[in-house]
Amino acid sequence: MREKATTLYLGPQHPGITGNMMIRLKVKGDTIVQATTEVGYLHRAFEKLAERRNWLQSFTLMCRFCVPEPDPVEESYARAVETLEGREVPERAKYIRVLVLELARIASYMLWYGGQAGSLGLYTIGQWSVGDRNYILDLFEELTGGRVYHMYIWPGGVRRDLPMGFEEKVLKTMDYLEKRLDDYEDLMFDNAIFRKRTIGVGIIDPEKAIEWGVVGPPLRGCGIQHDVRIDEPYEVYDQLDFEVPTEEGCDIWARANVRRREIRQSIRIIRQVIDKMPKGEFYNKIPNPHKWRLPKGDAYVRTEAVRGEVGMYIASDGSEHPRRVHFRGAAYVHAVTLLEDLLVGENVADVSAIMNSLGTCPPEIER
Amino acid sequence: MEERKKEIIQTITDHFKDAVSNPYDGNRVDFTIPKQQIPAILFYLKDEMGFNHLSHISCIDWLEDKQFELVYILWSYTDRVKVFVHTRVDREQPVMDNIDMIWRQANTYEREIREMYGIRFAGLEAPEEFLLEDWQGPPPMRRDFDTYAYAMKTFWDRQEARSNAQDVRETIRRRTGEELPDFAKKYSR
Amino acid sequence: MINDKVSQKIVDIIQNFARKHSLWVLAYGTGCGAIEIPPTMTSRYDAERLGVRGAATPRQADVLLITGYLTTKTLKRVIRVYEQMQDPKYVIGFGSCTINGGMYYDSYNTIKALDRYLPVDVYINGCMPRPEAVLEGFAKLQELIQAGKADGARKYKENLDWYRANQKEVIPVWRMPEYNW
Repeated sequence: MREKATTLYLGPQHPGITGNMMIRLKVKGDTIVQATTEVGYLHRAFEKLAERRNWLQSFTLMCRFCVPEPDPVEESYARAVETLEGREVPERAKYIRVLVLELARIASYMLWYGGQAGSLGLYTIGQWSVGDRNYILDLFEELTGGRVYHMYIWPGGVRRDLPMGFEEKVLKTMDYLEKRLDDYEDLMFDNAIFRKRTIGVGIIDPEKAIEWGVVGPPLRGCGIQHDVRIDEPYEVYDQLDFEVPTEEGCDIWARANVRRREIRQSIRIIRQVIDKMPKGEFYNKIPNPHKWRLPKGDAYVRTEAVRGEVGMYIASDGSEHPRRVHFRGAAYVHAVTLLEDLLVGENVADVSAIMNSLGTCPPEIER
Repeated sequence: MEERKKEIIQTITDHFKDAVSNPYDGNRVDFTIPKQQIPAILFYLKDEMGFNHLSHISCIDWLEDKQFELVYILWSYTDRVKVFVHTRVDREQPVMDNIDMIWRQANTYEREIREMYGIRFAGLEAPEEFLLEDWQGPPPMRRDFDTYAYAMKTFWDRQEARSNAQDVRETIRRRTGEELPDFAKKYSR
Repeated sequence: MINDKVSQKIVDIIQNFARKHSLWVLAYGTGCGAIEIPPTMTSRYDAERLGVRGAATPRQADVLLITGYLTTKTLKRVIRVYEQMQDPKYVIGFGSCTINGGMYYDSYNTIKALDRYLPVDVYINGCMPRPEAVLEGFAKLQELIQAGKADGARKYKENLDWYRANQKEVIPVWRMPEYNW
C-alpha cells in the first residue's frame, strides 16, 4: 500500500498542548515523519518593555516570563543586577531565596504530575496533585501576597521577612506532602498504562545530549549528572546537602523518575534551610529607584529551574534603564530544535506526553 | 580555577591574534574579537577547549555607536568556566556568519535575532517568521523603534475608563458636601 | 411555534436555567491566566459543581475564556475559534490585560481592549485573578444568562461590520474565511 504523508496541525487550540503553541506534523499513518514547531502566540515583548522602565520597574515584568515557575526568573534577574553592581546580599535573604525557589520547584513539579499523567489519560493524579499544590500556593500567599506571581525576590534581597510562625507551617506542609507523594507515585509509577506508554518513547541520544543543549531533567534522564546548583552554586546551595538524581534510559520514564526523586530532594533542602536559617537583615536597601544607575557592563547568571538551566543576560549603558535584558529559557532549546527531532518516528498520540516530559513552556520561548 | 582561566586566555590569544581578553572575576572569561573570526573561535572553543554547551546568544543595539553587539556565552561542564565572546556588527549593513553547524540550537537564537534586529545570517535556513506574524514595521527590538508610539497608534486605548475613574471625586463630594475643583468637573458625569 | 408572550417567557426561563447549569469552557489557554484554570477545575475549588467543565473543541463549547493578554497572532486564532462556536456562546475576559492592556499598555504586540474585537459578557479583573474570582465570574455569567442579558453573540451578529473593521485594523493580512450568519 502506498502511503501518503498528511499534514496535521496540532494546536494552538488543542487540549494536549502545553500552553499556546503549534506543531505542524507530517504523518504517515500514525507515525510522524516530520515535525515543525511554530511559536510566537505569546510574544509580549517584555525585553522591549524593560528598556522603557527603570531597573526596579523591570523586575515586575520578570516573573511573567514563565508562568508555572516564576521565581527562578526573578531570582536570576535579581542576581544578575547584583552581580553587575557588586551589591552584597544578606545571608538571611539568601536562605529565604532558596526556600522560595525550592517551594516553587515543588509547586511546579506538582503541576507537571497533573500534566504528564493527564497527557496519558490518567486524570486522578492531576486532581490530587494540583489540588495539593494549593497548599504551597497558600504558603506563597502568606509570604508574598500572591498565589502565582510573587515579585518577592528583588535586587538587594527579598521584599519582606518571613511572617511569624511561617517555618512551622512550611514544615507541616512538607510532612503532609511527603505522605501524599507516596500516593501519587503508587498511582502513576505502578500503573501498567503509564509504564507501557513511557518506556522507550521519546529517546534522546545521550552522546549528543550536551551538544544539543539539553539541560535539566531531560539531561539527567540520560544519566549525565549536571545541575547548575552543583556546577555553579548560587545563593547558599553549596552549604546544603542534597543529591542530584540521574536515571538511565533517556526516555519519558527516566525523566519522570528523575522528577519524582527531585521532589524528595527539594523537601530535604527546605528542611535544611529552615534548620540553618540565620537571624538578621533580609534586605540591602537600594537607592532611590528613579536615580539608581548601574555601572556600564554586562552580566549573565544561570539558575536551575524545573525545566533545566535558565539564564539572564543583562547589559547596562550606565543609565537608569536597562540597555538589554535577555532571558534564556530551557524550553527555548527543548521545545524547538529538540522537540522537532524527538517527534520523528513517534506516534501522534505520544506528542503530548513527550512535550510534557521535556517541560515545554511556550511563554518562556516567546517572552 | 584561576590557573585554568589563565591557560584558556593564553591559548586563545596565542591562536587568535585579534582576540582581546577582558579581565573579570570569578569563573568568567571574556573576549572581544572581530566578527569574521567568530565561527573559527567558537569551533576552536568547542572542539579543542571543551566548551561544548552553548548557553546563550544575545544581541544589543548600540544606536549611538551605529553598531550591534553580539554576545556568545559558552559553558564548559568539565572546567566550570563560562566564556563570553563579544563582537560588533555594523548597523547599516548587518551581516553575520551563521553558526548553526556548530550548535544546532543556535538556529533558534539566530532566527529570533534576525527577526528582532534585522541582522542577516549568511546561510541560515529557516522560515523568515519566528515570533511575529505579518509584521510590517521595522525590526521591533531596535532602539529607534518606539513601542509606545506604535501601540498608541495601532491599538485602541480605553480612554473612557480612565476618565471615569475620576468619579471617585464625585463620590467624595457627595459624602462631604464640598465643591468639586474646576478641572475635575469635566470628568464627572 | 409559540406565539403568545407568556408561554415564550416560560420557555425562556426553562431554557436559560438549562443553559446556565452547563457551561462548557473551551480548553484554550491563550495567555498566562491558564495557570489558574487547573486549580479552579480540581479538587479544592471544583468548578464542576457549577456545571463548568472543559470542552476539547470549539463546536462543543459554550464559553470562550480569554485567559489574559492576546497577541495579534493569537487574536486571529481566537476570532476563528469564536466564529466556529455554536450558539449560545459567551466570552469571559480574564485578567487586567484584557480590560485595558494592564502592564502591557505599551507593548507593540498585544491588544489593549478585548471588547473592541469580541463581545465580552463578563470581565474578571486581577493579575492573576484568584480561583475564587474566576468562580465569581462564572456565577455572574450564570446570573446574566438567567436574566437573559448575556447576549454577546447577538451583539456580535448585529454589529459584525464594526467588529470586523476593528479586527482588520490590527490583523494586517486577513487569510480567514468570512463566515456568513
